[in-house]
Amino acid sequence: MRFESKRLEMGTFPVRDVVFGDETRWADGVLTVAKDDILREVRTKEPRVEQIDLEIAKPGESVRIWPVRDVVEPRVKVSGSGVAYPGMCGRDVATVGEGRTHRLDGIGVVEVSNVVWHAGGGDLNDQFLDMSGPLAEMIPESKLINVCVVVEPDPILDVTEQNYAVHNATLLVADALARAVADLEPPEIEVFETSPTDPPLPAVVYVQCTHSPQAMSNSPKTFCVSTYGMPQLMSPWILHPNEIMDGAINGPYRTMFATSWTVANNPIVKELYARHGVDLDFRAVIAFKTEWTTQREKELMAAQAAKMAKMLGAEGAIVTWDAGGNEFMEVIYTVRALEREGIRTVFLTSEDNPAGGAPTMLEPLPEADAIVSTGYFHSLLIDELKEKLPAVNRVIGNPVKIYERSPVGSIMEVSGLEARDSTYAPHRFDDHYGWTRLSTFAY
Amino acid sequence: MSRPLRVLHYVNQFFAGIGGEDKANHPAEIRDGAVGPGRLLANLLGDEGIVVGTVVCGDNFFQEQQEQALAVVRQALTDWTPDVVITGPAFISGRYGIACAEVARTAQEAGVPSVAGMNAENPAVPMYSQNIYIVGTGPSPASMEPALTAMARLAVKLGRGEEIGPAADEGYLPRGERRLGYRAQPGYLRAVDMLVRKLRDQPFASEVPYQPVDKVTPAPALSNLAGATIALATTGGLIRRGNPDHQPASNTRSFLRIDVADLAELSPKDFDAYHAGYYNAIAGDNPNYILPLSYVRELEAVDEIGSVHSTVYALAGVSTPVAESRRMGAEIGAELAAAGVDGCLLVAT
Repeated sequence: MRFESKRLEMGTFPVRDVVFGDETRWADGVLTVAKDDILREVRTKEPRVEQIDLEIAKPGESVRIWPVRDVVEPRVKVSGSGVAYPGMCGRDVATVGEGRTHRLDGIGVVEVSNVVWHAGGGDLNDQFLDMSGPLAEMIPESKLINVCVVVEPDPILDVTEQNYAVHNATLLVADALARAVADLEPPEIEVFETSPTDPPLPAVVYVQCTHSPQAMSNSPKTFCVSTYGMPQLMSPWILHPNEIMDGAINGPYRTMFATSWTVANNPIVKELYARHGVDLDFRAVIAFKTEWTTQREKELMAAQAAKMAKMLGAEGAIVTWDAGGNEFMEVIYTVRALEREGIRTVFLTSEDNPAGGAPTMLEPLPEADAIVSTGYFHSLLIDELKEKLPAVNRVIGNPVKIYERSPVGSIMEVSGLEARDSTYAPHRFDDHYGWTRLSTFAY
Repeated sequence: MSRPLRVLHYVNQFFAGIGGEDKANHPAEIRDGAVGPGRLLANLLGDEGIVVGTVVCGDNFFQEQQEQALAVVRQALTDWTPDVVITGPAFISGRYGIACAEVARTAQEAGVPSVAGMNAENPAVPMYSQNIYIVGTGPSPASMEPALTAMARLAVKLGRGEEIGPAADEGYLPRGERRLGYRAQPGYLRAVDMLVRKLRDQPFASEVPYQPVDKVTPAPALSNLAGATIALATTGGLIRRGNPDHQPASNTRSFLRIDVADLAELSPKDFDAYHAGYYNAIAGDNPNYILPLSYVRELEAVDEIGSVHSTVYALAGVSTPVAESRRMGAEIGAELAAAGVDGCLLVAT
């Protein structure tokens, strides 16, 4: 089974500086942002927003952005069906992955807002970005020039509406920036297609597991990372890799390694493309929603994902996931189900706390015999992030902190903490797609 | 160039050239200089070390008169004052493997670093690998030279007090510890590389080898429930309303004790659910769903159970390290046992 006809041209416009000015335009790597025009446009198109402002943060600055909900790369489809980041916040759901897309490389549009994810409890909004210091060195988005959308919704709205309001505002800012390069010739064009390889090479699928907040929040609509805008628990989907490149999976989960920006720039997808026709035949992406609530559901979804991979002719698979805790079960069951179908599988994951010689996989399975470790998912176990991060000169967003990592790694509600003061890193450090060289070693 | 290290070696009767199974009762003895494979070891150590002496012992003698054999080892440690002790390699031989491990452990206890060598499948490995350095070798003496090469390299580092790197780099079998570090390539690249190797039937090394979990044997069933004192515990994140005890919703390191002696049920006026792993609102409206006090009170009233223990235990069972879970479980268990509780209903979510 193969979808040969999809051909996507990705035009890249590098950004080396961002300045505010009278007209939004890109020239020679400098992006000028007409702040007032953009804010006016967002207010018109997204009237649920009550407060909104834009601020610029650059790598190396003594700046903390707090709290951060998402980071979006500005992208625009210039030909082919659909829109970038399809389905989210009511955007077009037409299938993407063909034609041409333009992207602004080296910048992020950062969603800065106090809106909590949902009313279900526990999922606190504790992520932030430092633009310098130890945390910044480890987080990909800290290396971007960040256009921060500091935004709060009308408080009369329910929490889900508030989420979609502030995220839509963020997407509208990204759209306005990307529009500046829609009609320009890109300095770099890369072509993505997965035509049959000659000679035939082993077919490979990528199983990308992403969190659904449905069980935690008791609602299928709760805002989170989504597939064509669908955050709910769904059986697995087959996506063409080009759909991932156009942002078919978009929206944030609760770490800086699972933002719209990291998902659209997923290095595993790019590397599988790079090896297509060389070492392997990149057949498809299986998009898999996690946090099913019963053992039966977990086993069923794993079996169905493996069946899909088999029907696609896969001989190999890479599995990643973006969450923690009970979702591990359907993910490792998927690894086992793939292996039982004879599909050679590599699992990229972070690990639990190894204290006391405990297994670092929630349920270790012998079938998971090829694991790439991205380290421990608790920041308190990482030397660089154990101690408090330095104080900063400027805070973008809320000057007060509401949540803080405790010295043992939990998230604690606190009061009266200045966001600029020395502070702990977010409690989770979970490199879901293998951006960093961090790993673990047996001693 | 630092001075050569003083190395004490241990070999069995076979490798000492005394004989095979018929000489396995050969008593432990100390010899000067290198014996048998010790001569190759001495060559491999080169300028880095000198094999000053060798303890030779029959495998059966070691097994049957271990204390006597180890007394000879301790004597050799005193006589020769080695900087490092090397034992074996024992390859796949079980008795020899245990002797090598015991000698290495004895040296380590006496403050002398040590290296044993044996195959990963040797029965001594699961018994000793967490406590001593065991260099992994091939299964048979055909791999003597690479085995001794790796053992000599690690022994020199240990003897010189140098920092010891990861098991895979240094050649020893993992000692059950995992530490954070940086690899040469980012994770995404390692994942694709590993997949390509796996597809081509080329060797690859999982970065997280399979490690089975503990199996817990359930306690026997209670024979007389009507006379039993039953305790309640929950990992569902039961808190006092307003969370005055500052319990976290995840990565919990402490548990709550709540006195319920005077309570018929858990009222939502006084209690709430705070747990990062499920939708808390329903349990918040009726905390008896996560700690079923009201329901066991009904059983108590009709004498289905004897009584409900006055203290209940609560924490949020999310992301807590296994070691912390073990500690808290043992503490709760010990308190319940000391209080004479017969059974405990542990409610998870």
